[in-house]
Amino acid sequence: MASLLQFEKVLMKCSCDIKSPIINLYFCKHCLKLRCGRCVSHEVDSYSCPNCLENMPSAEAKLKKNRCANCLDCPSCNHSLTTRATSVALTDSQSPDKKMTKKVYYLACGLCRWTSRDIGLGDKETASGGWEEHDNPHFERLNELLEFYHQLAIKEKNEREQKKFNKRRTYLRLQEKYFSPGGLATRRKASFLNALSSMAPKTDEPEITPVKLIEPKEEVDPLPSKYYTQPLVLEKVTTLAQRLNRPEFASSQVEGLYPRHKHLVIKRSQRCRECEHNLSKPEYNPSSIKFKIQLVALHHIPDVRIYLVPKLYQAKESIVTILLSNPSQEKMETELEAINEPPSTGLLTVPEGLLVLAAKDITAEFDEKTADTSEFKDNPEKKSSETSQGHIQFRSGHKLGVLFKVTPQTSDSDVVVCFKLKYKYHNTSPSLRTPVEDEEKPDAVWLEHEVEINLGATSP
Amino acid sequence: MEALNVVVNVAFVLEKQSFINLRLSAVPDSDPFTMPLFEGLSAGSEKSAVILDIGAAYSKVGFAGEFGPWAFVSSKVKLSKTKKEVFVWDYSSEEELFDILVEFFHLLYFKHLLVNPKDRRVVFCESILCPTQFRETVAKVLFKHYEVPSILFAPSHLLAMFTLGINTGLVLDAGFSETTVLPIYEGIPIIKGVQTVTVAAREIHRNLAALLQDQAVLITDGEEAPLASKMSSLPDTVIEDIKVRTCFVTNINRARLIQQSILQNDESKWPAVPSSVEYPLDGGSKLVVTGKVREVACEVLFEQDMEEKSVATTILDAILQCPLDMRIPLAQNLVLMGGTSMLPGFAHRLVDELKELLSKPQYKDRLAISSFKVHSPPSEANYTAWLGGSLFGAMEILSYRSLSREAYNQAGKVPDWCSLDDAVQEAEVVPKERSSMKQLEALRKLSLEKSSAGASPTPK
Repeated sequence: MASLLQFEKVLMKCSCDIKSPIINLYFCKHCLKLRCGRCVSHEVDSYSCPNCLENMPSAEAKLKKNRCANCLDCPSCNHSLTTRATSVALTDSQSPDKKMTKKVYYLACGLCRWTSRDIGLGDKETASGGWEEHDNPHFERLNELLEFYHQLAIKEKNEREQKKFNKRRTYLRLQEKYFSPGGLATRRKASFLNALSSMAPKTDEPEITPVKLIEPKEEVDPLPSKYYTQPLVLEKVTTLAQRLNRPEFASSQVEGLYPRHKHLVIKRSQRCRECEHNLSKPEYNPSSIKFKIQLVALHHIPDVRIYLVPKLYQAKESIVTILLSNPSQEKMETELEAINEPPSTGLLTVPEGLLVLAAKDITAEFDEKTADTSEFKDNPEKKSSETSQGHIQFRSGHKLGVLFKVTPQTSDSDVVVCFKLKYKYHNTSPSLRTPVEDEEKPDAVWLEHEVEINLGATSP
Repeated sequence: MEALNVVVNVAFVLEKQSFINLRLSAVPDSDPFTMPLFEGLSAGSEKSAVILDIGAAYSKVGFAGEFGPWAFVSSKVKLSKTKKEVFVWDYSSEEELFDILVEFFHLLYFKHLLVNPKDRRVVFCESILCPTQFRETVAKVLFKHYEVPSILFAPSHLLAMFTLGINTGLVLDAGFSETTVLPIYEGIPIIKGVQTVTVAAREIHRNLAALLQDQAVLITDGEEAPLASKMSSLPDTVIEDIKVRTCFVTNINRARLIQQSILQNDESKWPAVPSSVEYPLDGGSKLVVTGKVREVACEVLFEQDMEEKSVATTILDAILQCPLDMRIPLAQNLVLMGGTSMLPGFAHRLVDELKELLSKPQYKDRLAISSFKVHSPPSEANYTAWLGGSLFGAMEILSYRSLSREAYNQAGKVPDWCSLDDAVQEAEVVPKERSSMKQLEALRKLSLEKSSAGASPTPK
């Protein structure tokens, strides 16, 4: 019940001791551990434009500053801009009587009605635009500075290299002197190095041309008098967000707002930090929502859900139905063990002994009331008589309703119970096991995870 | 031994190649069409470093060698645990900060920068007064969680000098929470001269909110009512927007008149009031921001507080802390940075205030300065520090100056100017030295084994 919308009610502890809902967890098949978003390493997988869904290789994305070449954003409200076509009447200069119409394009925002005509951008004759790009106003000065610092960097690097090299050379000489019985080859090599070393400082030490200094000014521009005298038209002044969109060209007037290329989005892949295997890898195609690799916990470990919670009273035992479901295609043996320690705020008694979850049969989901259910009907009877007497509420397909006895110990906060979920995990993909491991490692291993369930508040 | 010699040679040749790469990449990425060629040639060289400047209000992120940040991001993040949006600097414990930073850097790397953190060095621009706890936690998050190869903690005031190509100057950083002044002489920050006041954008916001709450009128459907009767407070974003779009720093003459008028409670002394603005709020009502409010809001910057400190006095106090010989050069090289210094009229007013303060008794006999000169960095003031980081990060010597992950893992902490521990200075060099020592050991063993077989030359 509490799964789709209230997934934070049932939490599981992952390998980094953070409790998260099962839908946020990965299950590493290789280390057999639960991983959350914090204990996997994220990687950028592929770049694409969220508007035109075009893929972009990473080198190109860097080149274009993570922006799409074709799609533009509204400078005013950040909505995507659309290209509009319109026809303008042109008068031929040679024969003024003749009227010609021409198709032209401009950009418009469907949300805030901003158009490229507002800022005086001329209409374009092609739909794809070719809109003017701006260079940083200080471009040349910054290039000069960059060049200057590169010279300094080269100098420093050379000095360091020189030091390192000298050390190495002395060590080579020592080595030659003491350790080698005078091999010709080593001597030749050393002399070769010598030659290079004498060349290095001369060729690699260019003269440093100091960068031109821009003199500081004594006179600072005063505030224009229009601030005191002219009325302020608020609509003409840009907001801070609009200015920060393009920090290098920040304009305080709306006339200075130029459209901005759309920022790309990425697909991420997740990798286990311990074994470095991929836990999730999306498909390359930006419009695909599928994954190449997807080791989400939901597909591998039994799911725990709250099925039915009666009214809970402090210090009074109630019976809560919890649903366990088996995601795997094989029968799964589970065992539960209550943890009656903080943060748990209720005394929990769980069914003892082995609980067997039936294999998940995908076809059974579609025809539930067929022979399949009848086959399972005798199953719980047998189980209840054998092992967990009266602890099983119902069984349907791969799901099992289990009865928990909860005695709330609190009246003012939510009742939280914790237990250990132990289960026998069958490694279903044989490719993961190397032949050597096969002998040592059995097909199935017992795994356990801590589960915390929030059952809600007690009734007064 | 022969094999080892070859290894040494190969390493040497590789180093030579990286010289060539440096030359090539020294040509800045001006032309997008030639860039792929460079990338191809310098395939072995490093990817450009990530430059992070985590401000109190806004963070600037981008790559080394770029002339502007790729993104200006509000320094807040929605925590997945609590679903609450928190400011990065709003933390109560180190654990909390760790969680905030993990999520915030995730946002920066995967939503804005779109690169793998593991691949790139980091230049972290920080205030020289950055709390140790903060930088330690940043290092922990970046090294341990994101596994970046190295971090350079760069003081933002020094970085501002890089954008100008000078090495002596007095840098004033007026940001969100505080204004800090640091004198720098011949590239050396004079720590003794650091001055700071907690008067900056936040104080302006507080003042503006109080003024509006006190005086402003709200027009709803043509009916006027004082703001205080309708709303208990305006949201921070609205206050910020009103400041950015309507407020300005008035000139010193008008400020004196206004001060007199307020002190003597004489309306007639008030100079001609600038026009008022109707600021639209959500819900169809309009807030009347009077000309008086527009003009007075930013006056907090220059009003002296109980200790007679203001933004202007910090500069003079900083100069006073410096030796006599430095004072004139410092006064002739003022550098203003930080978003607050972008307020219209700020620089002009600051210089006027400084000149007026010079005639005040506390400075008159102690300072022989007659004029101030202000530099204009090739950037907007709000990303000057970032730009300096970008220029520095583009240098090939970045690796020598940064703290590498290995060094951090060995030392377990970040070296700092204020701690006298045997700091890991040239971090990168240390492990390399060690490895060559190891190599030497191995060589010696090898040769001893050899020599023991044949005639044994005794090393002296």
